[in-house]
Amino acid sequence: MAEKQLQSTLAAAAFQKQWFGDLRRRVFDERRPYALIQADVPFELFDLLEIPAVSNQWWSSLVAAKRQAPAFLAAMAADGIAEQLCRYCSVGLATTRYANAGEAPWGGLPAPRLLCARLTCDCIHRVFSLWAEAFGTELFEIEHPAARELPPRWWELTRHRWRELIEPHRLEFVAGALERLIERLESITTRRLDRAELRERLARVNRQEEIFDATRRLIAAAPATPVRMTEQIANVMATQWVRGTDWAVAHAQQFHDEVQARVDAGVAACDGEKLRLMWVGAGLWHDTDFYTAFEDSHGAVFVWSMYLAFGPDAYIRYGLDDPLAALASRTASFNEFLHNPPWAAEWTVAQALEHRIDAALVLHPKSMKPSATGRIFIERALEEAGIPVLPVQADVVDARAWDPVAARKAVAAFLDKRVLQ
Amino acid sequence: MSARAIAELRAAFEDPFSALGRDPARDRRTVLMSWPSVPIELVHAAGFLPVFARGGDAATPAADDVLEPDLFPNRLRQLVEAALTGRVANIAAIVLPRSSDPDYKCFLYLRELARRGVAASLPPVLLFDLLHSDTADARAYNADRARDLSARLTSLAGRPNRADELREAIANANRSRAAARRLHALRGARPLIAGADALPLLGAFWQLEPERYASLANAAADELARGVPLEGRRVVVAGAPVDTLVLHAAIEKEGAVVVAELSPFGGCGTSADVEVAEDPFPALANHYGRESIDARLPVDALMHKLDELLDAAQAVVLSQPSDDASYGWDYPRIRALLARRATPHTVLTGDSAGGAMAADRERIRALLGSAREVHRG
Repeated sequence: MAEKQLQSTLAAAAFQKQWFGDLRRRVFDERRPYALIQADVPFELFDLLEIPAVSNQWWSSLVAAKRQAPAFLAAMAADGIAEQLCRYCSVGLATTRYANAGEAPWGGLPAPRLLCARLTCDCIHRVFSLWAEAFGTELFEIEHPAARELPPRWWELTRHRWRELIEPHRLEFVAGALERLIERLESITTRRLDRAELRERLARVNRQEEIFDATRRLIAAAPATPVRMTEQIANVMATQWVRGTDWAVAHAQQFHDEVQARVDAGVAACDGEKLRLMWVGAGLWHDTDFYTAFEDSHGAVFVWSMYLAFGPDAYIRYGLDDPLAALASRTASFNEFLHNPPWAAEWTVAQALEHRIDAALVLHPKSMKPSATGRIFIERALEEAGIPVLPVQADVVDARAWDPVAARKAVAAFLDKRVLQ
Repeated sequence: MSARAIAELRAAFEDPFSALGRDPARDRRTVLMSWPSVPIELVHAAGFLPVFARGGDAATPAADDVLEPDLFPNRLRQLVEAALTGRVANIAAIVLPRSSDPDYKCFLYLRELARRGVAASLPPVLLFDLLHSDTADARAYNADRARDLSARLTSLAGRPNRADELREAIANANRSRAAARRLHALRGARPLIAGADALPLLGAFWQLEPERYASLANAAADELARGVPLEGRRVVVAGAPVDTLVLHAAIEKEGAVVVAELSPFGGCGTSADVEVAEDPFPALANHYGRESIDARLPVDALMHKLDELLDAAQAVVLSQPSDDASYGWDYPRIRALLARRATPHTVLTGDSAGGAMAADRERIRALLGSAREVHRG
């Protein structure tokens, strides 16, 4: 594994391990509730009501990074669940339903008081129903009304014109769904959500994302990439799961300042950077070394992934008079920006141009069907913008069909034939 | 009369989608949909003919160029192929329900292809965003979406959007449903009709003018009721809902009889009437939210529907094609349900619209052999 170049990366990893240890102690020793939720559920509500929330996607990435996913997924397949079904959202379920099949990280997930998911992809209701059954716990579902109007340059509307971005009937529905969620959480904790506190928290989320925005622009503008993509992700995701907290804002600032210092000192993540790459799709959690594998051979550095860029463009909401409406406007279309045409292609190309990208690797995740949609539009838009594209067939958590040697050879050949020539 | 009735019903199931593009006048009165989670009563009340995109074995080169492999079912590939080749240029509208991610993505893709000028001659492409959650908020949302779709369709038709016409369309469709239920009652423990014969007669409900369907289906039921019960293992088809006869034919070729299918095109699609209420929109939306069999129907509701079909079943065939992202998750529950009922099953992985693969045919044979053993035991 490539060495960590930033102190903030080490701090982020230590924070997450400590946070999870504290969570397990709270649940087992103090019998206090926690929630297991999808990444696109508004964490802020849980945190303000003192119900810590664990992200399913974070847990999945951790299981994959610890190389435990194949054992759990093989157990799921042996149980008759078809291999083609989404692994990213279900490897966590597998660690619970087939707990003896592998060794879950850090002692495994304790039983949550509540599972919560937005019904985005078709499989979410089913995966979370099975998971709730395995835990013997309650599932709270947030229905997901579909967008009919999709302004192509959505990121120009999110901050100030979010009421235009989200159709009124969808905004109203999602705000109502969040009200129901708050009622449910309040009944678990006996606390009451203070709307002024929510407004303050969302303002701090804005602050955090503004810092990430400044960091993103530093990286985009620097002559050579000052921080590897993998370290960008590690810092951003540790922060996003507790976004708007004092630690998160402080850590975002620490990360920014460290990047700024590297830019000021002319420090590059990779000496001799020749090619700037972007990764389109979720992270390849079981083989993060892949992202540094082309530095020595080609001077090719992964500069961009969605993780740092998405926060500033998708989270910031100004005009917090009605904080729940603002939160609903973020929740209503959250990860669809990343997959649906025209949103995903327009944004990806704009980001590629801003970051002076030379070539793009686009994930083709066989089992994550909704996430796999839209990629033809993304790939064609990138190529039309003069950016060569290499599709990468991979599952982000399931390493069983991944051939790291062949994948690296394919990328090297792509760089040699389509990018360097 | 009855032979002609059966032939007309069969044609009404098989032909309308493939006939698009041949008769501009008829096309102009047609609304094309991707799945029967769109209330056809709204289409009828607006004065249009409903037609559903159906899976088939025709090649789809234009669609394959813009749709990722293994993500979209055959029926959507056929729909996009028709859209990109100008075959639906004259129809009144395309309506895609939010009945699955692929249907929704198909809506987005068509809109984007039009925006990019790839699909130059598309009719209006509309979304019917039906939620399946059984909450007051979701029910109100669905009623508003039904109102909205009704307004759009009547506007396209140049007609007033009148509740009394919609109530009449609901009553007419209910009479058709009653006739379809008569047909479906001929299946079951002593089936008088093979599944591959029954499915088109039932599925025609969705595409025929209601009075015509009721008349033809009642005539067909009268005739078929005089038949003798068919021999063979009684099979229920579940999993990803079928929209073609291919799977039924493959099963029945092995000497079995398909007596029910968990598909809106089969008996499940007409098993309950829509309430004829003062405000027809909530009634219609509630019905489709509760009864539509699609990838977003909550698993408890789906399991309940399956359980209701199993009384007559001696074996169950589950379809899990490679584009399935949803139904496969139900397998542990279905397996447990079938174990409780001591009903053998098999899982097929081929495209149910594209012809049974050799491996699937072998699985069917093995299943029917084991079902025979269970029956003897």
